[in-house]
Amino acid sequence: MIDLSVEVAGIRMQNPILVASGTFGCGEEYSPLLDVGRLGALVTKGITLKPWQGNKPPRICETPAGLLNAVGLQNPGVDAFIHEILPVMKGYGVPVIANIAGFTKEEFVEIAKRLTGAGVDGLEINISCPNVKSGGMALGTVPELAAEVVEAVVESTSLPVIVKLTPNVTDIVALARAVTDAGASALSLINTLLGMAIDIKSRRPVLGNVLGGLSGPAIRPVAVRAVWQVSQAVDVPVIGMGGICRGEDALEFILAGATAVAVGSAHFRDPLAAMKIISYLESYCEENGINDWQKLIGAAWKNK
Amino acid sequence: METECRADAQLSDYAARVLEQVAVAPGCRLLTVSSPGLARAASPGQFALLGCGTGYDPFLRRPLSFHRVDLKRGEVSFLYRVKGVGTQWLAERRRGDVIPVLGPLGRGFRHSDRGKRGLLVGAGLGAAPLLFLAERLAGQAWSLTVLLGATTKTGILRADAFGRFGTVKTVTEDGSTPKKGTILDLLQEELNGGGWDTIYACGPRVVLKAVQEISARTGIPAQISVEERMACGLGACLGCACRSASSPGYLRVCREGPVFDAGEVILDD
Repeated sequence: MIDLSVEVAGIRMQNPILVASGTFGCGEEYSPLLDVGRLGALVTKGITLKPWQGNKPPRICETPAGLLNAVGLQNPGVDAFIHEILPVMKGYGVPVIANIAGFTKEEFVEIAKRLTGAGVDGLEINISCPNVKSGGMALGTVPELAAEVVEAVVESTSLPVIVKLTPNVTDIVALARAVTDAGASALSLINTLLGMAIDIKSRRPVLGNVLGGLSGPAIRPVAVRAVWQVSQAVDVPVIGMGGICRGEDALEFILAGATAVAVGSAHFRDPLAAMKIISYLESYCEENGINDWQKLIGAAWKNK
Repeated sequence: METECRADAQLSDYAARVLEQVAVAPGCRLLTVSSPGLARAASPGQFALLGCGTGYDPFLRRPLSFHRVDLKRGEVSFLYRVKGVGTQWLAERRRGDVIPVLGPLGRGFRHSDRGKRGLLVGAGLGAAPLLFLAERLAGQAWSLTVLLGATTKTGILRADAFGRFGTVKTVTEDGSTPKKGTILDLLQEELNGGGWDTIYACGPRVVLKAVQEISARTGIPAQISVEERMACGLGACLGCACRSASSPGYLRVCREGPVFDAGEVILDD
């Protein structure tokens, strides 16, 4: 069988298929349905310093070819994550990447310090959550502020630092350059697009938080564009995500320049989405006689 | 026909074949599918996520509670209202069509004791999860009274089916049934009679909140089946939140629910 293994930010993965933060719980939720250990890596729900309740409901609203969510980082905090959730996630034998969400630079640093040596394989800095009032996307839309956070986290940990970027900016390349210069080992793109929906019966916003993040196939072209632009501009690997539902979608991201991809909302429609994508990539490589699949990374711009 | 992802797992994404689709009231359908594995695994109050459509619109599955399970025939029924694109797609399925059905999901009704007196409160489509419960309880020698309420007569769903398992009383707000009023009027009358061991309720939030208040006031244990917008159905996405009454934060309707003890959640968050 074709070797699909890949290295991202020094993290060795058996294949390039990850799960997107916040869509896969701690793996345990999906384990009755599939072999979690077949994934390239697990990515956690956003972890804050203190326990965080999240937003009031409704938190979900279906939209054309996707959904809006405003969960708002509900999580038990970094200490409970380390003691209660991480052991479960480690049990699947695949790398665990901790998505961390501070409301200030100092909080990001503190979370990173507590996770260093705790058993995670890498950090994904979430400076792109659209559903919290401070931190999150507020830090991630200004290149200088984003770079400050990344630099501080990189200095405080020995773990590989991946930075997840928001597409809700004018120039994602400028942002990507800033955080890469600040020491990011890899980039995840994209987080959700800021959106909203209004209930025409109640004449009020659907989501309790009013605004939410749009995900699903509706945003895929935006994500492909971001991967295409950023992967040509920086020297670190890119993890592509945004509406990947099928193997063909994953391949599109790889051709655009992604070294690995993450599957998120697709799991809500088909819990086996990531498994099917892994199988697709294996048979695609076999059928097309591809021995080194990494030659496909960025092929769409490398072979111009 | 069905497929199971893992032989030892009850929870699965079953390929369920449609046996029958009946219009039971204007806009309300009774869908029966063949899925012996799901029928074996399902409990009253639990639900499944039904895949709707073949493209990406609608994108999410639709959560529907188990309305009836025929274990012998391996059949599962869902009672639903045609509300949007997802349920419209479901309504167009015909005998022989296959629907992906992920389940069973969530925590259902609890009923450990035998031979008690139970009061079932189904407001409108709230009747959906109660028929499966009524059959289960009747099979364990419970004595049941089922209250069904709606704005008008055609909204009283499945009264005949409930009649096999207990005494059925109906009420409509427009008086198109002999008794005029709200289901809460009817509930209050029954409570005045006394002697109930447990109340089981499903319906709009205003009804569930009244049941919570009654349970707190009278001390009669009550369980309520809560609805919320849902994505994964497995407890992973934290999309279907309901405020916890006992600790700060939220419970997951799809995992800790959808059936909560009346005092477990705060519904007006």
